[in-house]
Amino acid sequence: MGTTFAKSMAWLHSWVGVIAGGLLFAVFWSGTLSVFDREIDRWMMPATRLAAPAPPVSLDKAAAVVAPLIAADASQWRLDLPTPRAPLLRFSVRDGAGNVTTRDLDPASYALIPDQGTKGGTGFIFSFHYSLQLKWMNLGEWLVGFAGMAMLVLLVSGVVIHKKLFSQFFTFRPKQRLQRSSLDLHNLTGVLGLPFYFTMALSGLIILITVYFPQAHVGAYGGSAQAKAAFTAEAQGRYTRAKANRPGALASLDAMAARAEREWRGGRPYFVRVWQPGDANSYVELRRSYAHDITMNLDQIYFDAATGTVLHRFQAASVMTVQRFISGLHFIQFEHWTLRWLYFFAGLAGCATIATGFLFWLEARRARHAKKGLAGVRGVEGLAIGSVTGIVIATLALFAANRLLPLGAGVAGQGRAALEMLAFYLAWAACFIHAWARPAAAWRAQVRIIGALALVCVLLNAVTTGDHLFLAVGSGRWPVAGVDAMLLLLAVLAAWAGRRLQPITHPSADRRRRAPGAAPRP
Amino acid sequence: MPALLLILAGLASYGGFACLALAMPRHWAQVGGARLRAAPPRRLLRGCGTALLGGAHALLVYRDGPSFGSLLWVVLLFAAAVAVALTLAWRPQAPGAADADGPGRR
Repeated sequence: MGTTFAKSMAWLHSWVGVIAGGLLFAVFWSGTLSVFDREIDRWMMPATRLAAPAPPVSLDKAAAVVAPLIAADASQWRLDLPTPRAPLLRFSVRDGAGNVTTRDLDPASYALIPDQGTKGGTGFIFSFHYSLQLKWMNLGEWLVGFAGMAMLVLLVSGVVIHKKLFSQFFTFRPKQRLQRSSLDLHNLTGVLGLPFYFTMALSGLIILITVYFPQAHVGAYGGSAQAKAAFTAEAQGRYTRAKANRPGALASLDAMAARAEREWRGGRPYFVRVWQPGDANSYVELRRSYAHDITMNLDQIYFDAATGTVLHRFQAASVMTVQRFISGLHFIQFEHWTLRWLYFFAGLAGCATIATGFLFWLEARRARHAKKGLAGVRGVEGLAIGSVTGIVIATLALFAANRLLPLGAGVAGQGRAALEMLAFYLAWAACFIHAWARPAAAWRAQVRIIGALALVCVLLNAVTTGDHLFLAVGSGRWPVAGVDAMLLLLAVLAAWAGRRLQPITHPSADRRRRAPGAAPRP
Repeated sequence: MPALLLILAGLASYGGFACLALAMPRHWAQVGGARLRAAPPRRLLRGCGTALLGGAHALLVYRDGPSFGSLLWVVLLFAAAVAVALTLAWRPQAPGAADADGPGRR
């Protein structure tokens, strides 16, 4: 029974790994980058590289500046207050057809910043992380959910099949042949990172629970639009009232913000949203910031727009607070730089677990498949190369395109942001084609391309914005310096990996194989 | 002061995992070479290791409160354990133990 169980778990681990590994790597990679999404925003939107503003910011002044941008049929508009990581006032407005337009304001001068023509880290990389940018029938969210389930299956089956979990707890032998050292690294990062990966996969599934498990709230509330609104109002809080269809005024937003801060006992607002602007029944929503707490609170206060009187207060019920705590662990929207960096490196370790899992699968089967004339290794190798090094190259292509395309660029009705994303997808597709066409050489070739492209991105940033690494450090523009430093680190890692991924017949590998004591034995 | 507490917690986590690694005969022999006696003082090392990891948790909870402190502890332990494994891979022998057998051969 014991051996049968271990064998079936080994079978499960390798097949779920091969099938879901590519998708998982995409989710892990984009998730790791999303840890620094706002820093990537600053890098990709040079005009927003502002110093953090000294509070307080006047919402009324900002509202006066954006007033001309609000169309008569707008259903709502919103101002997000500056934070240390996003030092700007973000204005967004939703028109009658539901289209959202976004602009940024300098919180010191209240001047509109020219449209940067990019979705950046928050708009593209983060949304790719949870939806793969596939909106049709929530397909992307379902695929990411499948990847999350696969991750849980892989973690549990991986623990079952790991024969020396404790005796090899700290074992990493980088000088052994690739099959052994990649398995070492796979086991090491997999076992040590298990609590982190498990939490991330599970909390990710819980965040999107209403997508995967609509029966829960549909069963309790019903499936109609009205029932959905009731569920939203009770779970997440929402106040609505019908339009009066008479013109109305907007009282002081700053006064409402001050009132909200008093009610929250010093808790600060994170955004303000004006519903049905210009109508006599217009109302204003203020949301409380969760910058200093893991739990992403849902505290909100609604004011009458014309008079500034409080209409409604909301605080989440305890079940929802648990959901928001678990979400908070995953979203890390709080201000904590140490945790942010540790999450980033833990995410990279997760990427390493997946990549080394692929490497081990391939190295373990390469000789056997060649003898039997099977094509499996070639197919999986292409998939592995395209999904591991391919998505890194695609990301660097996105960054390079961002620095090369002039502001206002557009081709055939596609704006600059769409062209950047096109560069990402074209580069990714090219990597897959290259990997399947030349699997033997593609690992090293693509790793070298990563190293070169990372350097090119750093140079392009210095040339097009003048913010080279030393200037960025000297003037305290840490987001820019951080992204540049990580690109340089990537270039160094790529150079190292390029050397490590040499063909298996390298003389030093033979020499090592002659020392039998160094082989798999513990 | 917060930075100092964080550094202390990081060192305690690293030291804690180093003790736990040394409690394993494999790593004990690898680090010490021939100068050390064959068996590590397992109980002592395990006790020290656990105490250091627990101490790191206490420092972080004192620094950041129970929720942030505990979360920070979990991720910091991951980083510290990886650092210990990388140290063992990079410099398998303690300085001065070079006269012993080479790494990996025993």
